[in-house]
Amino acid sequence: MLEVTGLSKRFGGLAALDELWLEVAAGEIRGIIGPNGAGKTTLFNVISGTYRPTAGSIKFEGREIGGLGPSRIAELGVIRTFQRVALFGKYSVLENVMVGRHRHAREGLWGAIVGSGRRIEAANRDRAREIVDFIGLGAARDEPARNLPYGHQRALGVAIALAAEPRLLMLDEPVAGMNSAETLEMANLIRRIRERWGVTVLLVEHDMRTVMGLCEKITVLDFGKKLAEGAPREISENKDVIEAYLGADEFVA
Amino acid sequence: METATLVQTIANSVVQGSVYATVAVGLALAFGVMQMANFAHGEFFMVGAYVVYVLYALGGVPFPAAVALAFPIVGLLGLATERFIFRPTRDNVLSGFMATAGLAFILQVLVGQTWGVGLMRSIPTPYMGIVEVGDVRLGWQRLIVVPAAGAMMGLLWFFLYRVRLGKGLRACAQDREAAALLGISNNRMAALAMFIAGGFAGVSGALMAPIHAVTPYMGHAIIVTAFVVVIVGGMASIEGAILAAFLLGFIHTFVTTVFDAVVATMVGVAFMAAVLIVKPSGLLGRVKA
Amino acid sequence: MGKALGLAALTAALCVAPFVVREYYVEILILLLINAILAVSYRLITTTGDWSLGHVVLMGVGAYATALIAKLLGWSFWASLPLAGFGAAAVGFVFVYPLLRTRGFGFFIGSFALAELLRLVWIKFHDPFGGPRGMIGIPPVSVGSYQFYDAIPYYFLTLAIVALSVWIMYRIDKAVLVGNVMKAVYMDEALAQSVGVNAPKYRTIAFTVGAFFAGIAGALLAHRLGAIDPHNFDINTMVYLIIWVVVGGTATFWGPLIGLVVMTAVFEATRPLLEWRPLLFGGILIAFLIFLPGGIESLLAKIPPLVERLRRPRLGRRTL
Repeated sequence: MLEVTGLSKRFGGLAALDELWLEVAAGEIRGIIGPNGAGKTTLFNVISGTYRPTAGSIKFEGREIGGLGPSRIAELGVIRTFQRVALFGKYSVLENVMVGRHRHAREGLWGAIVGSGRRIEAANRDRAREIVDFIGLGAARDEPARNLPYGHQRALGVAIALAAEPRLLMLDEPVAGMNSAETLEMANLIRRIRERWGVTVLLVEHDMRTVMGLCEKITVLDFGKKLAEGAPREISENKDVIEAYLGADEFVA
Repeated sequence: METATLVQTIANSVVQGSVYATVAVGLALAFGVMQMANFAHGEFFMVGAYVVYVLYALGGVPFPAAVALAFPIVGLLGLATERFIFRPTRDNVLSGFMATAGLAFILQVLVGQTWGVGLMRSIPTPYMGIVEVGDVRLGWQRLIVVPAAGAMMGLLWFFLYRVRLGKGLRACAQDREAAALLGISNNRMAALAMFIAGGFAGVSGALMAPIHAVTPYMGHAIIVTAFVVVIVGGMASIEGAILAAFLLGFIHTFVTTVFDAVVATMVGVAFMAAVLIVKPSGLLGRVKA
Repeated sequence: MGKALGLAALTAALCVAPFVVREYYVEILILLLINAILAVSYRLITTTGDWSLGHVVLMGVGAYATALIAKLLGWSFWASLPLAGFGAAAVGFVFVYPLLRTRGFGFFIGSFALAELLRLVWIKFHDPFGGPRGMIGIPPVSVGSYQFYDAIPYYFLTLAIVALSVWIMYRIDKAVLVGNVMKAVYMDEALAQSVGVNAPKYRTIAFTVGAFFAGIAGALLAHRLGAIDPHNFDINTMVYLIIWVVVGGTATFWGPLIGLVVMTAVFEATRPLLEWRPLLFGGILIAFLIFLPGGIESLLAKIPPLVERLRRPRLGRRTL
């Protein structure tokens, strides 16, 4: 589904990504891990179109997406979430998710003026409500997004991405800053999403327990290069990986 | 173009560039240090001109003294602007900029109501006479702008690179949070930058007072040029502002000689638009406008 | 229910007004209506987060377009009005396209540069723009043999066009699938793009539509004044537009209109102060930007919860 070939990204003299090769099969839950500065978020940013690749290619479902703009890539079905809290603060939970459905519910100026989009809007609202309920925020449906507690805000971020009906869902540190209860909930949510919609998931995360428990395959990055790749057990026993993390207490097996 | 005209135009360009440089440098400094974009910078220039009008033309104070006094007087105005307009809007560059538009109105009215609107005040020229070098003729009044500008740039350079306080300004321009952590007060630096910006604008206005028509609205023409220069040079870059000032001084003077002043302004503005589109950070800038 | 009633009352008041006030005030009302389109169309652009300094020049495009069409081609108002709008929209498109790569301050000053460039073209070329003196002798609007020359008929013509324009812009703003998307671009552009919202496209749409209606306002202005010159569309006028929008607020559709009405009233009320007026307005702008950046509408927004609090009996206290 996703083929990354010889991908490099340079910022001035610094190579954040250095000839990276990666393949993600449809329906997988793939984890991307690595010490700080390894290039994980840069990888996400290049795939999602925020940055242009310096060299190499990115193919999504056989189609070259390297260098396309972020909204174009999103339209093809690659939807990402953000490390930071990314919400439309003033809007309610439901309204946030409705914006997420933009790919499938659009209206031109003429339609807006004469009001011909009413049926699309109603269908849109129903779908959005479904998603809000699925995520478990049904009770807070009309609450302004900025009033939600942190854990719910992060879940909303996932809901917005889900609303776009992604074929590839890229989650950027989904459990960052969460306590163990919230972390478990989020992990379950991700599993349920994959079960329900067969979405392929690409996950960047520091929380090792979550990554090991959730992902079927893990790719380890270091200094912009692929260090190792394999099943969770293999990775946790891989000497190079352990060395890369040596000294960092993120690595909790 | 004949050689004589060419040389004359070059000489005029140098003078024009010097004027632009003194006006624009303050603007670039203020923006670089604390992201303060001053819409009323042209009015600062105007107040400087009025300082000369009041002190020299009305009060009989010697011209050089009046010009020198323009620095602290308009500098104080800059200080007040920082304290009462830029500081409360520090987190929003656009708000500060818009608020200084209000300040421009205020200054125009205050000056106009105090000393009269309408007909231009003409100020007796302190330095009569013309310098003739070969085919080039330049009035003394115009000529003195060049060394004056040079002296001011020199002093500024010395201040920014050799004096502790000035180095603090540069530190703030690079990274205001880091500077704060090092004990360099953002408030102090912002105030200082605006004091210098005001002072420079005031002195340029003062020097130009005998040459320009002195009206409360003389700031209008200057502000457009000042921003053109600063944008072309790179919003936060002083070296860029100086470079752009002379570049645009040359362009403006040559185009005025060949066509007219309106076309010259058009070319300048078009240049600014082009820079903003092609390289928004300006010729020498690093910070995005 | 309350909204419909309020709207009906407003419509009634607007229809009756010209007959009950002096002719001078009818002219003021006409200008107020024209400025209303300007204010609302400007707010439409700020919806996506772009603040421009070129909006009044776009109104000028409409004014010059309609003047040229009427004087040189002799076409009727009903042709020149939409053409003025489309002309302004086209110029707006040319302006915004290169500016899409900047935001905030860069956009602001860039739009000023492009707009000023155009205005200088009007100043420079006597042919066909009339140079610094501008264009005079713009024929009044005519339908058949009837000419909209007097104030009151022109008032109603303006009212009709303004009402239609404002309604269209209201519909665009309210449309969840359009208006909400534009605001989303402002609130978090990266997030919006991550779900497929083409942010540059929506910014362009907002700017071009805003420009269209600025052009309409310009056409109405040109035919009322009968003469236009580049000074009508200079930075001074632009700053006044900014003052209305800042004083009123941009969070809701009605904010800029509130600001416009309030500031127009202040403008008229302070007529005796004449030369001191710009000082007052400058002070008001500064005060609002520092102390009430959300504008008057942000104050009004505090009223319903306040009323709610006052109505509810306090806990644990008996009213005597």
